[in-house]
Amino acid sequence: MPAFSAPVQNLVDELGRLPGIGPKSAQRIAFHLLKVPSEDALRLAQAIVAVKERVTFCPRCFNVAEGDLCIVCADDRRDPSVVCVVEDPRDVVAVEKTGGFSGRYHVLQGALSPIDGIGPDQLKIGELIARIEPEGISEVILCTNPNLEGEATAAYLARLLQPLGVRVTRIASGLPVGGDLEYADEVTLGRALEGRRVVESAAPAQTRPARADQG
Amino acid sequence: MYLRSLTLTDFRCLRELSFEPDPEGVTVVTGPNGTGKTSVLEAIAYLATQQSFRGVPRESLVRVGATAAVVRGVAVAGERSVSVDAEVSLATRSRMLVNGQPVRRRSDLDNGVQATVFTPEDTEVVRGGPAARRRFLDDAVALVTPVEAAHIETVERVLRQRAALLKRSHGHVNGDLATTLDVWDQRLAAAGTALSEARERVLSALAPEATETVTQLTGSRTAVGLTYRRSWNGSLEDALAAGRADDLVRGTTLVGPHRDDVELTLDGLAARTHASQGEQRTLALALRLATHRLATHRLATPPVLLLDDVFSELDHHRAASLLATVPPGQTLLTTAVPPPPTVPVAATIVLGQGAAA
Repeated sequence: MPAFSAPVQNLVDELGRLPGIGPKSAQRIAFHLLKVPSEDALRLAQAIVAVKERVTFCPRCFNVAEGDLCIVCADDRRDPSVVCVVEDPRDVVAVEKTGGFSGRYHVLQGALSPIDGIGPDQLKIGELIARIEPEGISEVILCTNPNLEGEATAAYLARLLQPLGVRVTRIASGLPVGGDLEYADEVTLGRALEGRRVVESAAPAQTRPARADQG
Repeated sequence: MYLRSLTLTDFRCLRELSFEPDPEGVTVVTGPNGTGKTSVLEAIAYLATQQSFRGVPRESLVRVGATAAVVRGVAVAGERSVSVDAEVSLATRSRMLVNGQPVRRRSDLDNGVQATVFTPEDTEVVRGGPAARRRFLDDAVALVTPVEAAHIETVERVLRQRAALLKRSHGHVNGDLATTLDVWDQRLAAAGTALSEARERVLSALAPEATETVTQLTGSRTAVGLTYRRSWNGSLEDALAAGRADDLVRGTTLVGPHRDDVELTLDGLAARTHASQGEQRTLALALRLATHRLATHRLATPPVLLLDDVFSELDHHRAASLLATVPPGQTLLTTAVPPPPTVPVAATIVLGQGAAA
């Protein structure tokens, strides 16, 4: 015998399908929605409808977009010769927050994972290759996640891109800035050691007189 | 380090048990069959690894009829004491706290309880199939060179991804699939080679320790040979490329660290086929004790030594030599029969009345 009436059970089931929502949370959210005023619940419903009706994927880079091109592709101050390849639109947001990248993006919409049935055909890989020549792309930055599937995807893309004569780079891995060494896990710290760099002893010449003044 | 106190609630068949093992000597856990002697060791090992050494799902650690099992321990190293609390719940997620803080990754447990476990099933390392030897070796890698332990998980994950890809191909390879396979092969070759090398390094460190331990246990000089047998020659990437046609037909990866083995010899003779049962048990125990010594060396303090039902495995003479062999440190052992008189028992816990003596 079902514990709830059909509409409630439906809502619980639908919520339970969302990522990160288990059966208990689904129930809690469903009963919360039953309890709040109608307009609050309807606002949520309308937000979902609006997202599905108005938001599309950018036909060029497959980032989320409203209307035609996404906000990055539509910005003609961006450098079209450098493309940053990410797995997910959320990663675009993450890279944008750095403010350190002025090129365009390409969103693969996933990473290679045969277990989940995701091969090259399920990702926007052909679309990336097709962009290289017409857009005059000279560098592709592989910005997939530093986990097994992300690394495999990066390696796969490198194989396809290198024959095309573009510069292919991979983001570095290492320690989070502002963190403490002792809190770093062994693998990250190991990678950071592997990727160490020579310290440039570039004390600019003009600092010398300044120090002499102090002394 | 040593375990100052241990408290169990609804763990296996133990409703409630609390005791303080001897800090540096031998604590004997005794009682009739089925009273939970092994469970006491299992609980301590759980604090060390978040796993049961019996290889069962966590839920089976909860006493039948109860909803959660709780294990609390206090580990002392030098002047520092660290509380480690574990809860295995049937209703919610299992959790573990070190000094009241949730454990997020394996290395968070480094300051807590460390343990070396020997159980009668360890004889499988000598007598059984290659999987038992690989498991023993991977345990040793994780204990002696924890940084290398990440390769164990990477290899498992790549193998699962590669198997899914091989099955999906139905034996046919087009250009796209070949490139995708190349990419996974590259990952497998890198992690697989690193894992095999880590295992080889641990083995060559174990061999002299094992020889010394067997010699002490038996009272006669016996050379223990530990030879790693890779399932491939040359580079793993080349071997994977050469084996690809076979792999596609079988839908599984036929070379790699998951197919490697260790050849164990006593004075040059294969222990699996030529050693007596007693010799096999002694060798299995010596391998564990050798790992214990290496771990003691790395941690600069001995882990807690947990010996399950060790006297049923050894004669009196070897049992006495065993305790002379182990490096000084806290030892807990279970036995259904009285320990040999030569064993220096510092404390005894008698199970069976539902409480500790």
